[in-house]
Amino acid sequence: MIIDINFIGLIIASIMASAVPLILASCGELITERSGVLNLGVEGMMIIGAISGFALMTVTGSLIIAVFGAMLAGVLISTIFAFLTQTLITNHVATGLALTIFGIGISAMIGKNFVGIPGKEFPVLFEGLKDTIPLLGPILFGHSIVFYFAFALPFITSYFLKKTKIGLIVRAVGDSPESASNQGINVRLVRYACILYGGSMSGLAGAYLSMIYTPQWIENMTGGRGWIALALVVFSTWNPIKILIGAMIFGGLTIIQFHMQAIGVRIPVQFLTALPYIVTIVVLVVISRDSRKIRLSTPSSLGKSFHKDN
Amino acid sequence: MNTNLKISNVTKIYPGCVANDNVSLEFNSGKIYALLGENGAGKSTLVKILSGVIIPDEGKIYLNENNLKLNSPLDAKKNDIGMVFQHFNLFETLSVFENLIIDSDEERESLREKIDSIMRKYNFSIDLDIPVLNLSAGQKQKVEIIRCLIRNPKVLIMDEPTSVLTEQETSELFLSLKKFSEEGILIIYITHKLKEVMELCDEVAVMRRGKLVSVSEIKNENIESLANKMVGQNLKTIKKKKEKTSSDQLINIINLNFISEDPFETNLSDINFSVNRGECLGIAGISGNGQSELFQVLSGEIISDKNSIEFNKNYIGDLNPQERREYLMAFSPEDRLEQAAIPQMAIFENVALNNFKSSNFFNNGLINENKIKEHSKKIISDFNVNTDNIELKSQFLSGGNLQKLIIGRELITSPDLLICFNPTWGLDVGAINYIHETLIKINEQNKSIILISTDTDELLKLSDKISVIHKGKLSKIMNADEVTSEKLGILMGGGN
Repeated sequence: MIIDINFIGLIIASIMASAVPLILASCGELITERSGVLNLGVEGMMIIGAISGFALMTVTGSLIIAVFGAMLAGVLISTIFAFLTQTLITNHVATGLALTIFGIGISAMIGKNFVGIPGKEFPVLFEGLKDTIPLLGPILFGHSIVFYFAFALPFITSYFLKKTKIGLIVRAVGDSPESASNQGINVRLVRYACILYGGSMSGLAGAYLSMIYTPQWIENMTGGRGWIALALVVFSTWNPIKILIGAMIFGGLTIIQFHMQAIGVRIPVQFLTALPYIVTIVVLVVISRDSRKIRLSTPSSLGKSFHKDN
Repeated sequence: MNTNLKISNVTKIYPGCVANDNVSLEFNSGKIYALLGENGAGKSTLVKILSGVIIPDEGKIYLNENNLKLNSPLDAKKNDIGMVFQHFNLFETLSVFENLIIDSDEERESLREKIDSIMRKYNFSIDLDIPVLNLSAGQKQKVEIIRCLIRNPKVLIMDEPTSVLTEQETSELFLSLKKFSEEGILIIYITHKLKEVMELCDEVAVMRRGKLVSVSEIKNENIESLANKMVGQNLKTIKKKKEKTSSDQLINIINLNFISEDPFETNLSDINFSVNRGECLGIAGISGNGQSELFQVLSGEIISDKNSIEFNKNYIGDLNPQERREYLMAFSPEDRLEQAAIPQMAIFENVALNNFKSSNFFNNGLINENKIKEHSKKIISDFNVNTDNIELKSQFLSGGNLQKLIIGRELITSPDLLICFNPTWGLDVGAINYIHETLIKINEQNKSIILISTDTDELLKLSDKISVIHKGKLSKIMNADEVTSEKLGILMGGGN
């Protein structure tokens, strides 16, 4: 069998494409968690984004409206979460789980009319450059704008947290909401903003799935990616660059195990399917072992409600 | 320029408690003011009102004749009122510089220069680029002070600033505060430590139960007069009769080591000491030098080598706390609500918790509630716990009452050895006195105490022998009457 070098490039590109929704949702959730809020509703927000994007695309015909509409849908559903956890001070874990269940249910209901409708082609950038460089061409060029955004996002997120004042405030709130409040920072406002941002990124991740990755609506099409995104955040110890690594490993193993199954490698299918989950977590645990660094990057107030009393 | 701060008829009412009852006070720059009172006297509420954290129900604040609206901490900052909180308001995982820049509007470079010049002026030396959690308590406090000074405050409020400092750090702080005062900053110093008031302040306001009791000049007061004003009654001074203790050894710690996997804990190395019957061994030290680890090893929360602890001729290093209790050891941990008691459970349930085997509280797995309640009532009356409702959740007891309950629960089984860790931390004078009397009484009954405490005065008052723990190592054991607090301070700082 002769393997074309461009074929390898295509495999790598498909790995990267499958990592896109994970990176988007994880980087969004990372900001939410850095402010001390644990939102387990990522899966629900993603699927809402997926159906909203697909439905808006079908109804309006506009891809731009569809993409931003999906983000807005993510924002709206996360507003419910924000209102419950920040204003009514409900428990983060329970509320997040409820959000996921709610999202899956409502997306299936809306989605009924959209099953079986073909999607639209999403424009790609630099299509012409694809064949100019061997191997790198298919990796670098011919992808959607969302794809490029996703791969820039971990670096933007890292810069935002480390170098900007607002990033500093987000970290401060996650470290100690009491101190932040005593310093005159509006903790509730910061947390609302971070939750809504996380919602918009999950919405975008969902839209990527239903509009670009597999352009169609299938019930429950996120298939647990929201949970993987959540795990990536924790096992990367809240480090955006490690999220990128984790998402690539996960995406890579998912694609490779498909190919292995296709070739007919004699390993039980169940084991192959489980492989990405196991390897990703093991690798992230190994590269994030330094307990000092864990302590420094873990938001101390994660999942704890903050109530300012007067 | 002169600064004049006036508090006028301030009242703050919480459900079931009047925290500030019509308090009026006036301060002028150039002097250091003490605000003195027991826990719950309302002094913290008052300064939180001044710093905008709490909004009063009634009353006004004037700074240089201007009526201030302090609805948030930001308002206080804008009006040049700076405050250093008792529990530091720092972000542990952020660097020192990040902590300082977060509420400043200045550019990085100019802020850095400003911080450097403040540090040079007052002789502070702190690495700006390490995370705050690596700083000592004294350094953290300096970061808080710098944070206030950046804004050139007119008023600087210090809330119980010395509760975490060593003697040396305290005297450094006092020098700085005097310097600030000379430069025209109005200083309000909140404390319940009378010695500090006498040493540092020019005027003193005493609060009791939300009310302002007196305002006077320090030169007209002494420690006894202030103590009586603070408590509202004449306090008897307690003193331990230092007698020759027996030479009958009760507990012997032999080459005890503990290496922690958590980098934020302290390792213990080569701990050796023994305590005789009827003796109190005090262990001094700045918090975070291995006290908590030592307590856990002694109580069996951390299990060590079997032969490293010999108690009453048995080797018990590998036993858990429950098994150690069977050998008549008793424990009073540092954190009353986190470690010693379960806040959401009733008093009588908490009493039952540490008496599994030897008591007849449980029959065939069922709770004998009557028996437990009877027992709890006895503890409450024997140990002066100020409640008659044993079904009250323990979180509603005041610190002093809860500590009495915990010590009572431990002592009612009449143990041979009581190990306590900061038993009077955060308590008011009355409760402290009671606990001290109780501890002295235990020694008089020929029972022993290991007292791990960060309060040097307490240690000197109660101990027969004293050792100092520094970075997980014990100093040599000294006779308490040969030690001074200065000497302890030096050892606590790592000197010789």
